[in-house]
Amino acid sequence: MSRGSGGGYDRHITIFSPEGRLFQVEYAFKAVKASGITSIGVRGKDSVCVVTQKKVPLMRGPWSNKQGTKQLSFRFRYGYEMPVDVLARWIADKSQVYTQHAYMRPLGVVAMVLGIDDEKGPQLFKCDPAGHFFGHKATSAGLKEQEAINFLEKKMKNDPAFSYEETVQTAISALQSVLQEDFKANEIEVGVVRKENPVFRVLSTEEIDEHLTAISERD
Amino acid sequence: MGDSQYSFSLTTFSPSGKLVQIEHALTAVGSGQTSLGIKAANGVVIATEKKLPSILVDEASVQKIQSLTPNIGVVYSGMGPDSRVLVRKSRKQAEQYHRLYKELIPVTQLVRETAAVMQEFTQSGGVRPFGVSLLVAGFDDNGPQLYQVDPSGSYFSWKASAMGKNVSNAKTFLEKRYTDDMELDDAVHTAILTLKEGFEGQISSKNIEIGIIGTDRKFRVLTPAEIEDYLAEVE
Repeated sequence: MSRGSGGGYDRHITIFSPEGRLFQVEYAFKAVKASGITSIGVRGKDSVCVVTQKKVPLMRGPWSNKQGTKQLSFRFRYGYEMPVDVLARWIADKSQVYTQHAYMRPLGVVAMVLGIDDEKGPQLFKCDPAGHFFGHKATSAGLKEQEAINFLEKKMKNDPAFSYEETVQTAISALQSVLQEDFKANEIEVGVVRKENPVFRVLSTEEIDEHLTAISERD
Repeated sequence: MGDSQYSFSLTTFSPSGKLVQIEHALTAVGSGQTSLGIKAANGVVIATEKKLPSILVDEASVQKIQSLTPNIGVVYSGMGPDSRVLVRKSRKQAEQYHRLYKELIPVTQLVRETAAVMQEFTQSGGVRPFGVSLLVAGFDDNGPQLYQVDPSGSYFSWKASAMGKNVSNAKTFLEKRYTDDMELDDAVHTAILTLKEGFEGQISSKNIEIGIIGTDRKFRVLTPAEIEDYLAEVE
C-alpha cells in the first residue's frame, strides 16, 4: 500500500496536503456552518451570555456526555471544580487528536464554553475542530459567524465592561443584526452565568421577552 | 502506536526517496507566525509574533511560549494545537527524569526525547507528522543552549535561528547582527528588531511574546509591561 504525495487521500483523512493544509479539518469547519445556525457569546464585567437559534429540536452534541463525565472525574480527583479554561483546553486537546490520527475524523463542532472562574472572573472560550482554543471577550460560531464578529468588534472596540443586562442584550441584538429579522422569544435559546449566581442557567421565554422589549425600546 | 485498522504508516517514501508528508508538514510550519531564538553569552531569548484572529480574542488567555521545566522554555511555529501535545509530552518526560534521578533533566536530553516523539509520528501507523517546529531554550550545567526541532524529528543546536513565515529575512538579519559575546539584554533587543523586520502592522506588547532565561536558570515569559520597556529602548 503506497501513499505517495497524498494521491487524493489528503482529502479523506487528516494527512497534510502539499500546501501543508489539513483538508479534513477545513471540511469540518464547513460542516459547522452547514448546520445553518449561528451562536453568539458575550463576556461582561460579571456575567457571560450565550445565544443561539432554535431551529432544530434540542440536540445533545457528542461533547455533552464527555464533558459531564470529565468534569465529575476532575472534581473527584482534584477536589475542586474544573476551571473553565481547563475544560476548554481538554476539549481542544481531544479535537487535536482527531486531526492527527487517521482512524478518527475531526468533529464538525465548535464548542463555546462559558463560566465564572474563582480567580479570573467571567470566562468565554471557543474550541474549534482544529483544536484551537482562545479566550474571548465576545465571539460567534456557525453560519453567520463572520458578520456577527464584525458587529461585535465594533461594539467591544473600547473594551466596555458590560453589565448583565447589557451583556445579554448585546448578544441578542448581535444575532438580530446578522439574521436581519426580529425573532420571537421562543425562537432563540439564551444561557447565562453570573458572578452572583455562578450556575449555568437557561433563560425562560418571559425573561427573553423582557430583553427583546428593552432592545426595541432602546432603538 | 498502530491505531486499529491503520496499522500502516501514512508517511511513506516517494519514488525520489522523499518523505512527502514531512515536507508538507514543513510547509505548514513555513506558513505559521514567525518565531526566533538567540543564544547570548549569559542566557537565551525566544520570541514570537502573537497575531490573533480578532480583537475580540482575549490575548491574556493565549500563551505561545511555554516552560517545559523551570530552566527550559519552548516556542513554536506552525499548528498551535500540535504544539500543545508536544509540550505536554515533554513536560511528562522531564518529570519522569526528575523522579528517577532527583535532578533537572539536561537540555540536550529533553530535546532528544521530544525529537524522538516527533520522529515516531512520522513512522507509526495511522498518524500524521506534527505540523510544528520548536525552538527550545534552556540553561543547565552546559551553559545556555538553543535547539530547533523539526517535524521530521531532526534537531540542531543554534546560536540564533528563526522559523515561520519570515524565516529567510529573519535569518539574514540575525546573521548580520549576531555576535558571540552578546549579553542577554542585547539579545532581547536584537530579537525585537528581527521581529519588527517583517512585522505587518504596528508591533506592541500585545502582539508579541518574549521568553528569557539567564544565569539564574529560571525560564520566564516577559510581562507586557517589560516588553513595552524593551520596545521603548529599541525605538
